[in-house]
Amino acid sequence: MLRINNLVKTFDGERRRRHSHAATPEEARVFAVNDVSFNVENGQLFTLLGPSGCGKTTTLRSIAGLERPDSGTIEVGGRVLFSTNEGKKPVNVPANERGLGMVFQSYAIWPHMSVFDNVAFPLQVKKRGDRVSRKEISERVMRVLETMELANFADRQATKLSGGQQQRLALARALVIEPPLLLLDEPLSNLDAKLRESLRYELKRVQRELGITSVYVTHDQVEALALSNSIAVMRNGNVVQLGRPREIYENPNCRFVAEFIGTSNFLSGNVVSKDGDRYTVNTVDGQLVLDSAATLPIGTDVIVSVRPEAVEVSTTSRAGEVPNEWKGTVLTRAYLGDSLDHVVGLGKHELRTRGNPSTSIEPGTTVYLRMDPAKLVLVPVD
Amino acid sequence: MNTAPPLSGRRSGRPAKRAVAAGSALVLLLAGCGGSPTATAPQATTAGGPTAAEKLYAEVNGMTGQQRRDKLVPLAEKEGTLDLYTSMTSDVVDVVIKAFEDQYNVTVNLYRAGSETVLQRVVQEQKAHYQGNDVVETNATELFDLNNEGVLATYDGERRQMVPDAGRQQGWTATRFNLFAPSWNTKLVTPDQAPKTWEDLADPKWDGKLSMELSDSDWYLTLYGYWKKQGKSDDEINKLFEGMAKGAKVVKGHTVQGQLLSAGQFSVAASNYSYIVQQAKTKGAPVDYLPYVQPVIARPNGIGLMKTAKHPAAAMLFTDWLLQEGQAVLVKQGLTPAIVEGDDPLKDVEIIPIDVQELTQHGDEWNKRYDQVISNGEQVEGN
Amino acid sequence: MITASPTVPARERAMPGWLRRVATPKTLIIVVVAGLIGYLALVPLYYLIWGTFFDANGFTMGGFARAYGDPRVGGMIGNSLWFAIGAAVLSLAVGTALAYLNVRTDVPFKGLFFAASIIPLIIPGILYTISWIFLASPDIGLLNKLIEPVLGPGFFDVFTVWGMVWVEGLHLSPIVFLLMVAAFRSMDPSLEESALMSGASRWQVFRRITVPLTRPAIVAAVLIMVVRSLESFEVPALLGLQNGIYVFTSRIYFVLRSYPPDLAAAGALAVGLLVLAVIGVAISNLVGRSSKNYQTVTGKGFRPRPMELGKWRPVMGGAIVVYFFLTVVGPLLVLLYTSLLKFYQAPSTEAFASMSLDNYSELFHISDATTALKNSLLLGVGSATLVMALMAVGAWMVVRSRIPGRQLVDYFSFTPLVVPGLVLGLALSFVYLRSPVPIYGTIFILLIAYCTRYMPYGMRYAVTSMHQISSELEESAQVSGASWWQTFRRVLLPLLSPGLLAGWIYILVVSFRELSSSILLYSPGNEVLSILIFEQYENGQFTVLAALGVVMVLTLAVLVVIAYKLGAKVGLRQD
Repeated sequence: MLRINNLVKTFDGERRRRHSHAATPEEARVFAVNDVSFNVENGQLFTLLGPSGCGKTTTLRSIAGLERPDSGTIEVGGRVLFSTNEGKKPVNVPANERGLGMVFQSYAIWPHMSVFDNVAFPLQVKKRGDRVSRKEISERVMRVLETMELANFADRQATKLSGGQQQRLALARALVIEPPLLLLDEPLSNLDAKLRESLRYELKRVQRELGITSVYVTHDQVEALALSNSIAVMRNGNVVQLGRPREIYENPNCRFVAEFIGTSNFLSGNVVSKDGDRYTVNTVDGQLVLDSAATLPIGTDVIVSVRPEAVEVSTTSRAGEVPNEWKGTVLTRAYLGDSLDHVVGLGKHELRTRGNPSTSIEPGTTVYLRMDPAKLVLVPVD
Repeated sequence: MNTAPPLSGRRSGRPAKRAVAAGSALVLLLAGCGGSPTATAPQATTAGGPTAAEKLYAEVNGMTGQQRRDKLVPLAEKEGTLDLYTSMTSDVVDVVIKAFEDQYNVTVNLYRAGSETVLQRVVQEQKAHYQGNDVVETNATELFDLNNEGVLATYDGERRQMVPDAGRQQGWTATRFNLFAPSWNTKLVTPDQAPKTWEDLADPKWDGKLSMELSDSDWYLTLYGYWKKQGKSDDEINKLFEGMAKGAKVVKGHTVQGQLLSAGQFSVAASNYSYIVQQAKTKGAPVDYLPYVQPVIARPNGIGLMKTAKHPAAAMLFTDWLLQEGQAVLVKQGLTPAIVEGDDPLKDVEIIPIDVQELTQHGDEWNKRYDQVISNGEQVEGN
Repeated sequence: MITASPTVPARERAMPGWLRRVATPKTLIIVVVAGLIGYLALVPLYYLIWGTFFDANGFTMGGFARAYGDPRVGGMIGNSLWFAIGAAVLSLAVGTALAYLNVRTDVPFKGLFFAASIIPLIIPGILYTISWIFLASPDIGLLNKLIEPVLGPGFFDVFTVWGMVWVEGLHLSPIVFLLMVAAFRSMDPSLEESALMSGASRWQVFRRITVPLTRPAIVAAVLIMVVRSLESFEVPALLGLQNGIYVFTSRIYFVLRSYPPDLAAAGALAVGLLVLAVIGVAISNLVGRSSKNYQTVTGKGFRPRPMELGKWRPVMGGAIVVYFFLTVVGPLLVLLYTSLLKFYQAPSTEAFASMSLDNYSELFHISDATTALKNSLLLGVGSATLVMALMAVGAWMVVRSRIPGRQLVDYFSFTPLVVPGLVLGLALSFVYLRSPVPIYGTIFILLIAYCTRYMPYGMRYAVTSMHQISSELEESAQVSGASWWQTFRRVLLPLLSPGLLAGWIYILVVSFRELSSSILLYSPGNEVLSILIFEQYENGQFTVLAALGVVMVLTLAVLVVIAYKLGAKVGLRQD
């Protein structure tokens, strides 16, 4: 459906040049997007995830046509929107002819129009050939507004809507032309937590129902995990890992991804032995055995990523029965409602654990930590 | 400059009273000043008998020659300063002041503005009993108005007696004359083609090439009167002016007129001041006004002493000086002096002064008629 | 927050409590500012109204009869409106387009905008108009000479209403530019991008999104431009009169020129202007009423990105170069050229051979030149600072507060625009000649005059900026425990500062040109530059005048650059 190949976008690094010692403007160029490629299948929700400045928004804006990439190709449903393939005539379809839908971070609701007019606008400005009759506009707008549960507010001034309603209005406006591709630029980031959660499911429902292919940009990993069919984690203009949410969460391929997706404890160590998929790693705080599909020679420096929920905390020892049991002291605990975190001191380091709230242990208590080898992730040192 | 208000007969000072009434209310409201409004009426300035300045003037008016100077100089130098309001252009007035200050130990404080503004300012200050100036030097029309306001004192002396009749007015004395004469661009007009008489200006060959000045109704009324005296009928005269106005380019301000004439925007200016054209000519601009189209029409500029002068001796000394030594200074600046001594460069030229009598009495009417004359020009232009 | 607004004290409160609640810094500042605005506006207005409607015998409409009895009055009103609306439309179109290109696109030659936005303001109106006569007069215009082989002689004629519209419109366009730059800077660009994504063409985006969203600024700009053109004198006097085209101001000039000044008739004409202006303000308030919805500066962060013009880039670049030549280079070249001549003449080998720097050396010999420069600087900086400080508070009252009668502040701040400079001079001299405080004859009377004259512009700049700041930002500061004054100083002022700085620079620059009230109010020792310009003009020294103009343009250009740099240093500039 959407194919992005070797997308590159640089910004003129004039300011940086002045402060660094780059001799030429070429050297001073800043790569916002550096050779990014991915495909999105029909009906899928694809997420670009990463911290601010990673190039995710630039990628999205390049697809939208609001930003002109330096090179690469962008294809939607077989239609080339942008291409700089050598030998062929370069293509760059202007944003207003791409026919895509987009929801902006600020919603970009036009304050001088009513709810109805906001949604009707994309139909009203259609080219002469595809003009839509007044009656059809009204029907299509009302249909979308109904889907978004905004039909009752059609005549209202757009700015009189609440934050959540504005967000739904922005979505309605993007969807009214039934675009082949929907672009969403951090659409939930301006909402409060509760609303964000409910709208997240709302968004997912609409996307599923309409089966609309979507590209979603966010820095919120929870959102990404909850919504996406697949996720591309970006950093410094590169896609560092691309995969299904579960793969990304459970098998981050580097420390950055592991750190960025959810919370994790990181233990540096060294591979001491390997038996098939089972590795034994020495860390400062003790030895760990774990399973990994990676092929790393003995003696490699590695990092073991330990998700807090992969650690079992107990006041009794089962040493010998199970692997990876360490001893430590509870430093603090935090009640989170649906879970309870303990921070456990291990001599040199601290380890965060997460478990059922029914297990609550006084700080100062000596405890035993047990880590399932299948849930530990071996991450190469960056 | 000399355009009277649209209603005739309003120069009696009545509207001034109205302004005072309005203003006094304003003062009471805004400044909380408790001055009696009626006391500020212009005529009331004389109510309290002669002022100290007037006493001095009266005493000196009768003196002559060195005796007069000997009396004035020590007094003036003791006063030390002179507050002068004038509409002389700054290039002239700077030279005049320097010459006076070089001769006497008196510092001159100068306020310079257009003649209407000088008038406004003096009247405003006098009504508020503010002694802003000792002496005022400006155009005839404004001096008439100031005299009507009763703020000018009587000045007399042997120098005044040498000024031509038209320049010896109640309350003020002419110091110089501005001469109205046609001028032309020598690149566009050959000496042969140049106008020889005022009547020539009505020639259709100047249609679209002649410029008239917006406010020269005093020139208009004087020329009108002159032609009338020559035996022309009203119809004939009106035809002549219509002929001039046909296709005429109306310009505001004589200096702009002079500049545009130099630049070739039009070929002939009907009524510019000769000294403005002379200045441009001296600099090499392709303009001329000689030989004069006669009669040359002269508008006097004059000087008047303030009844309320803070420095009456300095004021009187300056007046004496301007009518004596100052005359030579004015000549050097290209101006036409009021008192001609020795060889007169204009002795063969017929000069008629502006009909000030007519101007003060029926100025509005003439003004309207002149407006009408020029607007005929504009209608032709419009079609 | 349960506390009542301090301005609406509970009635049952005891007097000391009431006093304590009223005498807050907020109330004091508001009362003082409102008082000053009212005072500055009312003095000339009162004088004008009294002079118009009352004479020794009481109420009269005689002034109206004299002013509007003239058979040509219909043509005059028609010309005035044609001229004013034409110039406003031209300046609005040009200024808005330039501001948009500058702020929102990747148009080339952005460096030129700075000069193009300031220099036409600096060139005195007399010089600007005269340089256009030299450029586009049908007889001697250089442009006409240039195109004569193609289009025949006298193709351009600057001595028509269209010519007046052209010159005035170009001269005013920088003001629109400055106002609109502030508006565009503070507009969320995603509002336009989302329209683009909806499939709208750039023109549709501009027409249906950009223009409606910047409506408060556009309305303010139209209002200022129309009233300013109505009030403009140099252009109608120098271009209109040649062909007998009269407007309000040239009529007022005629009426006031006579003695005694027919204040009633001049006042009647000025009241006509006032009525037009009040209608304008009322319309702009009506149109701007729903503008609360349009506040586009919100707490949400956004990064304005320049829009790529693509193939239009060279076209727009060309248009900007043309504009730059028309408004800056052309007039400046004419000035420079004239300043090197002995007298003005069309360019020729002869003319070039006669060039010298004599006019510049003559400037040094003009007495009081340094005093005048010093006074102009002092007055320019002083009045700009005072006006913008007052108007920042004034704009808050008008836009934000719920103080009853706040609209009066808006109206008052606007009225000086329609009081002719000469009337203002008369009014001020009348009042301060009688004031127990010795202000007459000092430089302070000029300061008061300048503050009065430029208050309307300051107010528009401040109100426009204020409209674009979301009240949430202010409310959040208050919720954070900041007092009104702290909120004003720490939150509003910094956010307003681009607009305030633009207004400040505008006032500084135009104050150098003020003549009509200065000429009556200055006193020996308090000369200003515009007086010198006027004197050179009166002396017919156009060449020296041009030299003075060149020096003035340079001085102000340096000043403005310093102001911008200082502004940037303290973080005033937002880009």
